[in-house]
Amino acid sequence: MSPEAENRSASERGPTPSSSNLARRLDTLENKTIYLIDNGFGGSAEFMLQLQEWFAKHMPSVTTIARRKTGHVFADDTTDLWDEIKAKGHAVVYGVAG
Amino acid sequence: MTAVAAGSRKLEQTYGIPTAPVSTLQFLSRVKDFLKYSKAPLPFIFTPHPVIGLPPKALDAYIEGNDPRTGRPVIDEIIDALTKPVGETLFEPESSETSQASARQAFLTPDTEDNLQRLFYERGWTDGLPIVLPTEDRVKRMLGGTSHKPDEVVGEIFQMDTRENIKYTVSNIAAIAVMAGARPEHFPVILAIASTRQTALMPSTTAFSAMLLVNGPIRNEIGMNCGIGAFSPVNLANAVIGRSWTLMATVWGFNRPLKTLWSSQGNNLTYNSMCAGENEERSVWAPFHVQKGFKTEESVVSIFRGWTLFNSPGTAAKRSHGEELKIELGAMPPANSSATIIIDPLVARNLKENEGFATKQDYSRWLSQNIKMPAGSYWKADHIDMLVASRAFQGVEPFASWKKIPDDELIAPFYDPDRINIVVVGGETSPLWKVSDYNHVISVSIDKWR
Repeated sequence: MSPEAENRSASERGPTPSSSNLARRLDTLENKTIYLIDNGFGGSAEFMLQLQEWFAKHMPSVTTIARRKTGHVFADDTTDLWDEIKAKGHAVVYGVAG
Repeated sequence: MTAVAAGSRKLEQTYGIPTAPVSTLQFLSRVKDFLKYSKAPLPFIFTPHPVIGLPPKALDAYIEGNDPRTGRPVIDEIIDALTKPVGETLFEPESSETSQASARQAFLTPDTEDNLQRLFYERGWTDGLPIVLPTEDRVKRMLGGTSHKPDEVVGEIFQMDTRENIKYTVSNIAAIAVMAGARPEHFPVILAIASTRQTALMPSTTAFSAMLLVNGPIRNEIGMNCGIGAFSPVNLANAVIGRSWTLMATVWGFNRPLKTLWSSQGNNLTYNSMCAGENEERSVWAPFHVQKGFKTEESVVSIFRGWTLFNSPGTAAKRSHGEELKIELGAMPPANSSATIIIDPLVARNLKENEGFATKQDYSRWLSQNIKMPAGSYWKADHIDMLVASRAFQGVEPFASWKKIPDDELIAPFYDPDRINIVVVGGETSPLWKVSDYNHVISVSIDKWR
């Protein structure tokens, strides 16, 4: 006998994804506010701090705010920080998944 | 990786915020899986692996250096991801492998034993060792170990890489029990484990392991070892019940390297997940399942899970057992504030008769109050920062208070005595013990699966 159980697809198998379902990109980063979000995984906060230093040195008109993702490191459970970014920011760098 | 991908998708699609998700290259296949099933063509950027523990200069080199997938500077890709239309993505159409998932067959084509053994191995249906081939006759005999119908659904489990729910029946579990070498009398325990919907193999880069503890009359009915060498490879019931659990995870695809199996070093405790019975007959305290609300005469299996297991190299000859545990657990920051302590009956008797701990709970309380570690040692443990710091930031006590105190101030990391589990296993040749950061996950009835 085969030991395999029945697999039931939990996903819809629809059309190929399109970039049209992503947010509109910015014209430029100059004078914009970018949130650098560390996901809580080891090394991510340090990576974002170095990225913050890079922007300060090479693109000083960009305001960067380094923050840790709120909620559980492995869960898609953040709303408060995303609300804040919607109100105060223009773009996000989010990572480092590892 | 999933939280970054899912969060990026939400930022893009719900909040309308352009987002540049960053991952290390090691998780490329996970990213591809996510994009495939989420249908969100996120502009993922990759750095070399890992970012953990690197000095600032090395991280600067990652930022200004090339994405190892594309050969373009990471910083250029970040800027482009936020300012230019998303072009090429990692999206790949569904493979034929996925579409084959619905075409599973109940019976394999007849072949020689050698060829079938090879087939099972090549399909990833073994733990690396030869299995007992689950012929129709053998599975039928195994089904005689329970009153439940073969087609009854025992549970359902979610598989991360294919985003599928896997439903398994009594018959599926019987085939796996046969493969593990189990006998029909072991089957109710194996079904009870399957009913928990817990997997023996965790899709983590760390070295998770688990323990299966059996309590109640069934231990003796099926000849489980609760005494000498209970964790040694000598006893059929302990070996095959634990192996069955591992094979469930294996058959359901939790051992596919860089798909579902991410443990960098692995853990050979997962061969049978420390399956043993509690030595209720020689213990001076109430059995574990009674602590959890079951009756003494009920048969119960409990699952514990964690990362760290420490075997005592010697006895508590020069200081008390509690003093020994203060040293050992005081160096083991617990992510769940949990500990599971497995002690020989000789230790339990001494604790009760000579040190005044009338119950397991009394000893748990003492340990909870007396095991201390500096706050800095606790928070600087990577897994604590990753898994517990968010609770402190949310104001959850005692973590929020522990975040505010100086690094050298002592905290009681096992602050909740109910999270310190004590079980009695061993053969009384020496008053030894094991300590772990294992969390008690669940205890379920075996009798309902008879």
